[in-house]
Amino acid sequence: MNKKNIDSIIELSNELRWQIGDDFHDNLTESIYADASEIVKDTVQSDTSNKRFRLDAKIDKIVTSKAFGFPIMFLVLGVVLWITIVGANYPSSLLANVLLDTIHPALKNGAASINMPWWLSGFLIDGVYLAVAWVVAVMLPPMAIFFPMFTLLEDFGYLPRVAFNLDALFKKSGAHGKQALTMSMGFGCNAAGVVATRIIDSPRERLIAIITNNFSLCNGRWPTQILIATIFIGAIVPESLSSVASLLAVIGIAVLGMAFMFTVSWALSKTVLKGEVSTFNLELPPYRPPRFWKTIYTSLIDRTLIVLWRAVVFAAPAGAVIWLISNIYIGNETIAAWAIDSMDGFGFLLGLNGVILLAYIVAIPANEIVIPTILMLTVLVTGTSGGAGAGVMFELDSMNATGDLLRAGGWTLLTAINLMLFSLLHNPCSTTIYTIYKETKSLKWTVFASIMPVILGFVVTFLVAQIWRLIF
Amino acid sequence: MTTYNPISALILFFVIAVLLFVLFRPIKGWFWILKKNFGSNEKTIIEDILKQLYHFENSGNKVDMKTLVQVLGFNHTRVVDAIKKMTINDLIYFESDILKLTDTGREYALRIVRVHRLWERYLADKTGFSRSEWHDRAESMEHVLTHDEAEQLSVRLGNPKFDPHGDPIPTKTGKVAQVNGVELPLLPVNSIGRITHIEDEPEVIYKQIIAEKIHIGSLVRVVENNATRIVFLSEGEEFKLAPIVAANLTVAPIENEVVVEDNIARLSSLDEHETAKIIGISKESRGESRRRLLDLGFVKGANISIDLMNPLGEPHAYLIKGTSIALRKDQAAKILIKRD
Amino acid sequence: METKIKSACETCAHFNAEGLKKLGIHTDDFDFVVALAGNPNTGKSTVFNALTGLRQHTGNWPGKTVTRAEGGFEYNTQKFKLVDLPGTYSLLSTSEDEEAARDFILFGKPNVTVIVADANRLERNLNLVLQILEITDKAVLCLNLMDEAKRNHISIDERTLARDLGIPVVPTSARFNKGIPELIQTISDIANGTIVCKPHRIKSVPDNIDRAVKKLTTEIEKEFPGIPNSRWIAFRLLEGDTQIINALKSGELV
Ligand SMILES: Nc1nc2c(ncn2[C@@H]2O[C@H](COP(=O)(O)OP(=O)(O)O)[C@@H](O)[C@H]2O)c(=O)[nH]1
Ligand SMILES: [Mg+2]
Repeated sequence: MNKKNIDSIIELSNELRWQIGDDFHDNLTESIYADASEIVKDTVQSDTSNKRFRLDAKIDKIVTSKAFGFPIMFLVLGVVLWITIVGANYPSSLLANVLLDTIHPALKNGAASINMPWWLSGFLIDGVYLAVAWVVAVMLPPMAIFFPMFTLLEDFGYLPRVAFNLDALFKKSGAHGKQALTMSMGFGCNAAGVVATRIIDSPRERLIAIITNNFSLCNGRWPTQILIATIFIGAIVPESLSSVASLLAVIGIAVLGMAFMFTVSWALSKTVLKGEVSTFNLELPPYRPPRFWKTIYTSLIDRTLIVLWRAVVFAAPAGAVIWLISNIYIGNETIAAWAIDSMDGFGFLLGLNGVILLAYIVAIPANEIVIPTILMLTVLVTGTSGGAGAGVMFELDSMNATGDLLRAGGWTLLTAINLMLFSLLHNPCSTTIYTIYKETKSLKWTVFASIMPVILGFVVTFLVAQIWRLIF
Repeated sequence: MTTYNPISALILFFVIAVLLFVLFRPIKGWFWILKKNFGSNEKTIIEDILKQLYHFENSGNKVDMKTLVQVLGFNHTRVVDAIKKMTINDLIYFESDILKLTDTGREYALRIVRVHRLWERYLADKTGFSRSEWHDRAESMEHVLTHDEAEQLSVRLGNPKFDPHGDPIPTKTGKVAQVNGVELPLLPVNSIGRITHIEDEPEVIYKQIIAEKIHIGSLVRVVENNATRIVFLSEGEEFKLAPIVAANLTVAPIENEVVVEDNIARLSSLDEHETAKIIGISKESRGESRRRLLDLGFVKGANISIDLMNPLGEPHAYLIKGTSIALRKDQAAKILIKRD
Repeated sequence: METKIKSACETCAHFNAEGLKKLGIHTDDFDFVVALAGNPNTGKSTVFNALTGLRQHTGNWPGKTVTRAEGGFEYNTQKFKLVDLPGTYSLLSTSEDEEAARDFILFGKPNVTVIVADANRLERNLNLVLQILEITDKAVLCLNLMDEAKRNHISIDERTLARDLGIPVVPTSARFNKGIPELIQTISDIANGTIVCKPHRIKSVPDNIDRAVKKLTTEIEKEFPGIPNSRWIAFRLLEGDTQIINALKSGELV
């Protein structure tokens, strides 16, 4: 091999490239297709040439029709979410029963019987174990229900039709119709939603979908929303309407999330992402009956367990931190109390409080542990009785008791509303942040996607708090 | 917390928000404007002067100090300083009032022009910026890229010879290719040519051309050519231009027989139950999106029809080579078809 | 034409069911590397799973579900490593997926490339097939989704197709494990050199391009005698593909 010869080959190619002109790529593709159609002409026989296959065409006519297209979509999404939330209840409480109420005390007893020092058993069992157990109990059931259902729809071929129906809406905000699906996936889990953006093959639209996925209220946040809405919003209306009111409040938050998703998508496509390449294509594949068990198996392995594993890996150290800050003293205050104190002022400005802000900081790994952490910290700072001890997360069986504890911690209706807003608008959990980094391979976009929602959250809660205080 | 009251907090917030907006809003933000005026150092001014002189000399115009200051839009004294320095460094010289480039100056100017046009090529081929933005972005980039970076860029783009307006990109060694072709008004009726260059000066005329669907690389056929107007067909549309506007288009006549189809329509005008054959993709579609369309089978000669209408009006799904593929309206408008 | 195409039944007799062992992800010290390429949604992952016994995610959705999966099987005591490439429509553009697929076929030098095509949309699939055949001459066309084709009243003359393409063609319905034994037998035959392919090369190239390509191939072949894909390299050079230029410079291509 001779370097000079190679250089001259490259030189020659540069010369020839400009002789044959711009149309090279067009011409080459056309020649390939010309060969292809010639080959097909003497090998393929079909009596339905160029017609899409009957049954497919019929289904398509219905699911993309003006009359039924949208109702079918909302029905399907509604049913999937409903089954997830309702269906997850029972296994979740079962898991909580086993992991939190049975195994946790057993571990504590075991530790006591072998005379493990209190700080070690506290750190390992109350900190690390409890956080992991909590995440598993709350996260696993909804994901194990949501993802298989979603995957079945995907395998059937329905999802591309949803993208097709909704693309015009997403186009207005500079996004891709397939973002409808990554967004829906985000209702299950934002990390999984971010991975799902791989189906968007246009770089600009894919980044938009990644960055805005956090505006889909995920499984980890639904329970928080439902709990707070039931306690505080349900209480301001007559008893008979309370469940309807709290349901509407939660749906309102989810819809607000979508509004933010569209607005931020639009702003991104007009500013920071303007220069990214944008292409569009959407293929509508034929419908195929999914293979039920196989699909369920792979979706459990591929999606649920991988995401759960990541969450567990991040939750363990968080549990340790939560326990440590509540048990290590500086002077005669714990780190937690001290941090809460210093953030109280800022929290007040946002219509929140120091406890909530600290809970969101230490509970970065998983939104699931925000409420238990808030309850634990509230007991810690108010000194009310109850709870399970410093650094031990807990939840109360009755909503009333939870409400009383929170009110004792100084919560008002404003705090509740702003917590719901902040739960929608804050940084993604660390599993999602990590996933964003893996998918974009860019520190810049990861940082941006992590910080932008918190800033939005600060601004929104701040404005709500000030206006609230002006009016009431 | 003693001084807190919601109104003052709100007022403070809005003051900060407005301030941030005024400072940092895209392009017109004060921060960017200040950065441009004070941040543009001597190097930028010198390079801009060289480039201006190069363009003036190329078009056979003469420049004195006053015109130069006018075109550049920099502060007068800074330009004077820069010119002083440039004379000392032997980049330019005076012939009575007229500024002229020395050989070194011309070489330097060519390098700047090269970077500018390479960058425009890059923006056109590899990014999503619209064509109205290419020029301004290249204006600032030409001062930033080093020699080596420019070379790498050139290799990455396949050593292009022309920028997206059809202007030649000077080579490493300063050679400038000739734009191939004649002004459109010189093309006789019924002859066929390919647009090779669109002159972007004066801006009024350029804007007029850009507003039409006229694209570099597309074929034209002249149907009428007289002192008042020139009428030609390109990509299925008919254009009527005044001769002085048309003179800004350079067209390379094509000798060998090519068929320029009549009755070309756009895919976006296809109705349900109609079928058509694809004639080609408009030159407006370029870079990655053009390649995607080709890869998906939108090639000359392919049969196409509408498979599914969209409830929201777009995108429609088209049946092509046995598969249903959805395209947005703006994409469909770039695909040229002939109805069966 | 050296290609030996056996009818399906003939191959059945050859197929040694005893000799097959699915290896899952255990692919240490393999004898051959097999790449699985094809358009999105043609059943690549399904074929992959059928061959390896693994359960890669399959989805009825053109878009990447996984980037690249590896697995293996053993046939007649020879170990084959199988790589499931991302689905692409073409190898001529520059998207991440296409580069990954292209790089593996070009630089990974698989002993056999299995091109999975959708029998219902052969013409569209041939775009990629013909491109791959410019790169490698050790390939087999796996004509998948035959069950659907049958339902849609599409019939394909496999013999003629194999003759036109110059590579063996194996009809399959991977989802129902139909045709998989024949596919394994053919892969093994190509890997062991029992079948020698003489792949189709793109013909309808316009004259001016053809001339340029000929000039370049002559030069390339002078420098790298016996290179199988000089024409494809010429195509890439004409397109200004920097990766190929660099590979040429570093000698990675041979
Ligand atoms: N009817 C039928 N369906 C198949 C066959 N092979 C694959 N499929 C289905 O086609 C879809 C796409 O398959 P997949 O392996 O994910 O394709 P890939 O994108 O090329 O990897 C899945 O829903 C498969 O179940 C087949 O031979 N017959
Ligand atoms: Mg696959």
